[in-house]
Amino acid sequence: MAAKKKRATNVQNDSWVVVAADSVIDTHSSDSDPAFVRLRNPSTDAASLYMLSAGDKQLFEVKAFEEDFHSWFVGQTVQRDGRLLFVTPMDPLYLILPYLSKAGKEGKFQPVNQIVMDEDFPACSRLLSCTRSLASLLHIAEEKEMGSLKFHRYSHEKTMIWLQKKVERTVVALKKKNISVGEGVKSTTYIRVKSESDHHEEDYLRYAHGLISEYISEDLSKALLSHLQLPELTSPKETEPPSKKRKLSDKPVEAGEDYTKLNSTDFARKPPKKMTAAQKTLSKVDKTGMKTMMSFFSPKVKAEKK
Amino acid sequence: MGGVVSLSNTRKTAGTTSGVEEENTSCCKKMSCNASVIRVHVPPEGQLQRAPVHLLPCEIEHSGSAQVSQYFTATTKDRKCEKTVSFRGRELKGQEISCPQGYTGLVLKETNKPGSDQEDRTVKVSSVFDKLTYWNLETPPNSDDMIVMAMDWPELADAIHGPVQD
Repeated sequence: MAAKKKRATNVQNDSWVVVAADSVIDTHSSDSDPAFVRLRNPSTDAASLYMLSAGDKQLFEVKAFEEDFHSWFVGQTVQRDGRLLFVTPMDPLYLILPYLSKAGKEGKFQPVNQIVMDEDFPACSRLLSCTRSLASLLHIAEEKEMGSLKFHRYSHEKTMIWLQKKVERTVVALKKKNISVGEGVKSTTYIRVKSESDHHEEDYLRYAHGLISEYISEDLSKALLSHLQLPELTSPKETEPPSKKRKLSDKPVEAGEDYTKLNSTDFARKPPKKMTAAQKTLSKVDKTGMKTMMSFFSPKVKAEKK
Repeated sequence: MGGVVSLSNTRKTAGTTSGVEEENTSCCKKMSCNASVIRVHVPPEGQLQRAPVHLLPCEIEHSGSAQVSQYFTATTKDRKCEKTVSFRGRELKGQEISCPQGYTGLVLKETNKPGSDQEDRTVKVSSVFDKLTYWNLETPPNSDDMIVMAMDWPELADAIHGPVQD
């Protein structure tokens, strides 16, 4: 075991299999490259890995889909790391929102480029270059124009309405994809249901709320829950033990969501993650900037955070 | 051996791309390596190589070249709806799965690792794919396989991230 671990940490991973939106590789109109950047994750407040397209026009989220005991054959090579990364377009407003919300506490209208600044994540100002950013600010802020300058102030009411629309869109997609959202899902694996008639609207709403909550602060998540008129449930983590049935443990990845160490050691392999060994290995799990794909299979109740 | 072909026309990237704000503060670089970016170099479309991609239901504790065509692909049996192959004496059942619409499979490779963490890193698109083959251990492929589910993520992500109506 010790030998295996040693070998695992020595192996430098230098290859990744990715499924990416076509717009990522469409670099013709720009003379720059797309890039992975670290930005502040609005849900965890820690660093996460995102991608900006060439010219910062579009923001992408990077998620890792991972199952135990998988590797790749790519052409005539073997790649030990069996993860599949998804790079999907992301609404930059989720990442801008925390800055506006924080500045909003002062109650003043301010130029947005003075609001979206972060010593720890200087790249955050690039979010304002995304095509959608400036136009969509009105979903979460009030706007004042003075001459050619625009000033913004965070609006909680508008934000709630915006987030509710996000939830509604997500409910539609969940229904369309027949994704099972019932209670049983949390304790087993993700299954496709053939008939959706037995699912209540509330299950969909809660599930969608859980998905959206991955992109907002815990406080906002709670506020959104009451805005949707859904009573708070007790955390499933309190009412049921971490399921052993679920082979795709996303726990170590959650614990590893301190993505701040993204340099040559990132993308390092994760130690084998049996549930029983999870605690022991928590301190050694990788610190990559990706969440597990599986996090979208179960709505998170953010009980463990803070 | 075809497969992953490194393309030689990597741009001299040192400062040419978008990570500008990290570039011009070299004295603080050490402290802000946290903020460094990983550039993704995309070769011109005509130069993108294709390579077959297989997801195997086992961990192979090795990364590097392997005679995949000779010992794996060549022994694969392709029946109507499933493929089978014997790998290390175990029967694998697999099927091809396409990337979701609007998506492309990329294999990214880091070719020149920077000597220090003060330099930005670059990964290169070394090959592309439209479909991949995933293999189950003994279980016939079906729509509840995790990888099939995972391919739903982009559509769900679009609901979460797409623009809302006013």
